[in-house]
Amino acid sequence: MAEKQAEKTGSVGERLSILWRYSAGFRGLYLFAMFAQAGASAAKTGTFYLLGFLVDRVVGQTVLAGFLPILAAGIIGLALAEGLFSFLSGRSTAGASEGVARRLRNTLYDHIQHLPFSYHDRMPTGELIQRSTSDVDAVRRFFADQAIGVVRIGMMFLVNLTALLFLNPKLGLASILVVPFIVAVSIFFFRRVSKVYDEYQDQDAVLSTILQENLAGVRVVRAFAQQGFETAKFEKENTEKFRRGRALLLMHALFWPSTDILCAAQVLAGFTLGAVMAIQGEITLGQYIAYTGMVVYLIWPMRDLGRLVVHASNGLVSAYRTTEILRQPKEDLDAGTVSPSNTLRGEVEFRGVGFEYRGQSHILQDISFRCAPGRAVALLGPTGSGKTSLVNLLPRFHEYTSGRVLLDGVELREYSKRYLRRQIGIVEQEPFLFSRTIRENIVYGVEREVGDSEVVEAAQAAAIHEVILGLPDGYRTMVGEKGVTLSGGQRQRIAIARALLKDPRLLILDDSTSSVDSETEAEIRQALERLMQGRTTFIIAHRVQSVMRADLILVLDKGRIIQSGTHAELMEREGFYRRIFSLQSRIEEEVEGALAAEAGGQAGPLVA
Amino acid sequence: MAMDQWEEEDFQESWDAGTLRRMIGLAARRKLWFFGFLATVALVALSDSVFTYLKKMVIDESITPGHPESLYWIGGLFIVLSVLQAAGVFTFIYLAGLLGERIQYDLRRSMFTRLQELSFSYFDRTPVGWIMSRVTSDPSKVADLVTWGLLDSTWAAMSIISAMAFMLYLKWDLGILVFLTIPVLVFAGAFFKQRIIRQYRKVRRVNSKITASFNETITGVRVIKALGREERNLREFRGRTDEMYQAGFRAAWLSALFLPIVQGIGAVALATVAWFGGAQAVQGAVSIGTIQAFIGYVTFMLWPVQDLARVFSEMQHAIASAERSFSLVDSHPEIVDRPGALAPESLRGEVVFDQVSFWYKEGEPVIEDFSLRVSENESIALVGPTGGGKTTIASLLCRFYEPRRGVIRIAGRDYTTLTQRAIQSRIGVVLQTPHLFSGTIRENIRYGRLDAGDDEIADAARVAGADEFIRTLEKGYDTEVGQGGNRLSTGQKQLISLARAVLVQPDILIMDEATSSVDTVTEALIQRGMGTLMNGRISFVIAHRLSTIRRASRIVVVEDGRICEQGTHAELLCVRGKYYRLYTQQFRMERMREIDLGTEHGLLGTTDPSPIPSP
Repeated sequence: MAEKQAEKTGSVGERLSILWRYSAGFRGLYLFAMFAQAGASAAKTGTFYLLGFLVDRVVGQTVLAGFLPILAAGIIGLALAEGLFSFLSGRSTAGASEGVARRLRNTLYDHIQHLPFSYHDRMPTGELIQRSTSDVDAVRRFFADQAIGVVRIGMMFLVNLTALLFLNPKLGLASILVVPFIVAVSIFFFRRVSKVYDEYQDQDAVLSTILQENLAGVRVVRAFAQQGFETAKFEKENTEKFRRGRALLLMHALFWPSTDILCAAQVLAGFTLGAVMAIQGEITLGQYIAYTGMVVYLIWPMRDLGRLVVHASNGLVSAYRTTEILRQPKEDLDAGTVSPSNTLRGEVEFRGVGFEYRGQSHILQDISFRCAPGRAVALLGPTGSGKTSLVNLLPRFHEYTSGRVLLDGVELREYSKRYLRRQIGIVEQEPFLFSRTIRENIVYGVEREVGDSEVVEAAQAAAIHEVILGLPDGYRTMVGEKGVTLSGGQRQRIAIARALLKDPRLLILDDSTSSVDSETEAEIRQALERLMQGRTTFIIAHRVQSVMRADLILVLDKGRIIQSGTHAELMEREGFYRRIFSLQSRIEEEVEGALAAEAGGQAGPLVA
Repeated sequence: MAMDQWEEEDFQESWDAGTLRRMIGLAARRKLWFFGFLATVALVALSDSVFTYLKKMVIDESITPGHPESLYWIGGLFIVLSVLQAAGVFTFIYLAGLLGERIQYDLRRSMFTRLQELSFSYFDRTPVGWIMSRVTSDPSKVADLVTWGLLDSTWAAMSIISAMAFMLYLKWDLGILVFLTIPVLVFAGAFFKQRIIRQYRKVRRVNSKITASFNETITGVRVIKALGREERNLREFRGRTDEMYQAGFRAAWLSALFLPIVQGIGAVALATVAWFGGAQAVQGAVSIGTIQAFIGYVTFMLWPVQDLARVFSEMQHAIASAERSFSLVDSHPEIVDRPGALAPESLRGEVVFDQVSFWYKEGEPVIEDFSLRVSENESIALVGPTGGGKTTIASLLCRFYEPRRGVIRIAGRDYTTLTQRAIQSRIGVVLQTPHLFSGTIRENIRYGRLDAGDDEIADAARVAGADEFIRTLEKGYDTEVGQGGNRLSTGQKQLISLARAVLVQPDILIMDEATSSVDTVTEALIQRGMGTLMNGRISFVIAHRLSTIRRASRIVVVEDGRICEQGTHAELLCVRGKYYRLYTQQFRMERMREIDLGTEHGLLGTTDPSPIPSP
């Protein structure tokens, strides 16, 4: 939030062409809105003409006094016309801008869902959300306020200028002398203001950082009795914010009155010239009155032009930022040559698989193993050894860069991603749940309609049914911010229920030790075993029990398999695996030994 | 649900006159600025009416009679008035703005200061996000209302009043005819105001739903992909954007309808002027200039009405903001220093918990009848299951909370007879989750005692075992730790927090899982250093790690808020009770963790705590 990195935002032409593309399908409507603005302007100008006519023809000549009601009706009629035009313009603008925004939101949403992992890995969440919400709104405002605002001012200028020139060319031209000047000053000013305003806003970020740290560290602040220090720190930045606000303010306080004087000078010059011409009979009194009405719409709106232009240019930058997301290539879920009609057996074979990612070579190297249908593979290894990367290849979250992966004897790339992901269930250690009801979370991965009994069955198998019944609204309880907070173990069991309903052929489990008590752990274990029944399973193993029961154990280090085999086989061999397990079996002896030593009062060096 | 009271309600059905009065009171505190800007606005609005009158004079005094020379003095007046008006505009923008900034500044300051005084119970029940928006976004809304909002209203009122006055002065009967449209205007304004505000509220609501959708989809993208939810998600999302389209479109076209209607009503007034004024002009009863002036004044009266809906909706917004801000400012700390509270230099001596009970919520005691006597030089290890009350005991000792029943005595005095500052400045606390402030490592350690010199800081870091790793950093003690210390590993943050507490040279040291992420070798080092430091002082240690627990001179097992066993390590093991079970369980866990290859103490030892990225 605080740091503004220099970002590429494209040339103005490029940005405009983006907005042009975004407006597809709404251009006619928008064009109509623009012309309606012209109509509204014309009607307003017409009113002044009518008033001029009133003064010249009716008031001067008693004969035409009967025209008065008609004139009055004319004024109302023109006002109605103006109202109609401006309403139509407003409505069309709203339709077009909201339409553009809606389509952009939908496109972005869908695109983001289909962007590959590699993109999501490097793009901060906040940044993506910002672009999908604030930047889209800036694009909407470009169409809803700024572009149409510029058009409105332009139309008002053109219509009134034409009318003035028609009325009297000399007077008309004399009335727009300062206009270019006002526009230039206005644009210059609002450019500057937008910079000063950014500084003012940046200071907000500084203040909220201090506050946020103060609140997060409230215990530390109190524990060291540093309230005074904190207050002084805040005070300093608070004062800075006040100072920056004052600087911004001073600019506004100077801009508005000085342009007031410019405009007033122009008005005075115009009025004086007009009055002299009227006295000399070059124009009629009625024309003079019409002139004084119209000239106002020629001059004063120009001051706003700067604001609109500067804000519009911000809208252009936002458009560019949204389009940067859309330029990223999507994952094609359906590309693939095979889509087997019969069920997958679930035989997985890796042949010399390698994986490189974001310039990091050798995340996985030369991985070869084979897993028969329905069997379990346990992956062991330190953080960063490649366990997660390996399982992420299976649903094609990432693509392996060398070697072959065969699923039922067919190259993995030949299957479409959609098909593969339908066949694979994933249970993470602390799974992500959505802000929906528990029931919706359980059925989240299933496309068909699911009956209540089926949901309950899955929840029972996942050993979460009882917990759910204990919640305030049972299965209809909301999860997340606006509802209940579930523990890691509970979330995991909901994910198990979700996977059971999905009924995949392949299963990926993350089996890290989470902080659950032993009773819950036993329940989760049973639920997992039910889930693994008859499915090919890959376990990222942290628990000894998972490893021991696996049909194949792969010990990974730095992206390579350093040992593989069953528990029994690996125990036979000298190596890493046996070292761990001999240690495990020693624990019991050690505990007893420690107790004996402690009880004997000799605190010997028990822990190395 | 209990969260309801923290929902962002941005609309008050009925307004509280008291809140509004208090808001204005905030502004009126700076009398010169406040009345200065109100008076200038009123004058500027009045001068606008005079301009219209000048335009009338051009026609009636110069054009109609054919006197070009009158233009000199009218023009002269015009120039003088323009300059005065410009000066007036400068003055009111500057004064109102300054006042606004000042109000924001004052509000932020009083909220922040109040936050430093409020008790922990306040922070327990108030979401951080709620407090953040109070301090960051509410002040500007409040200030805007009492400055620009009041400015707009004064302008509007003055414009209408002066326009009416001039009309009555020029031609009273025509004036009264025009006034007839005013009730219609007000009625139309009120009618649309309601509807437009309602639509915009809906827009805001749907908008936050859309943001939530994006948020959830982006953070949960892995699950979505794994479960193949893309199509159904998009369908759902389309529902929301449709809703947004409807609400946004409706709000926009309602506003687009409101304007022409106001102008239409204005046109009726204009037509009246044209008709009746024209008829009287024909008879010479009214000058042309007067008709023109009337047209000017009618336009004048319309402007404020057009803005009515906007001003009203902002007003409701601002009042709601003000109410929430005031509720924060008005909150009272539960723990305050007693009158005549003492502030002794040292807290050396016994620490006694005498039948202490504590609960956060009535009927759910966290600590019950807890009695413990700790003498100088003792180190107490608090052990027991999570949620048993260990951390609460530490918080009570720091007087973050006070006992609901019973007494805590420090150095022979009931600690509520001491000032909070006296207690907290003599107690060193190292917390479970280390919190650092953005700034350098040096600044973070110095936080313990602001007047400490650089060598004292280095000494403290050495005792805390932090010196070694700090020296390996490129900038050493001047390394920036990042927001919340996020450029350091948890273990490194713990060492710095420890150094911070060591710097205080506290009489009582409390360590709550203070070194849980520090490797065992460094921990042993720390223990040695701390041994000398804690000579003649008291320390409380909450820990799981056996090596830490075993070093304590007394072990207290806390379960369900009570002491169930206490004694030395050997004594307790012999009893074969709760401690025995905890110990064997923990022993197993620690051994298992060494097997668990995921931790940094893994046998392979390949992973090191995330190093500081070189800038």
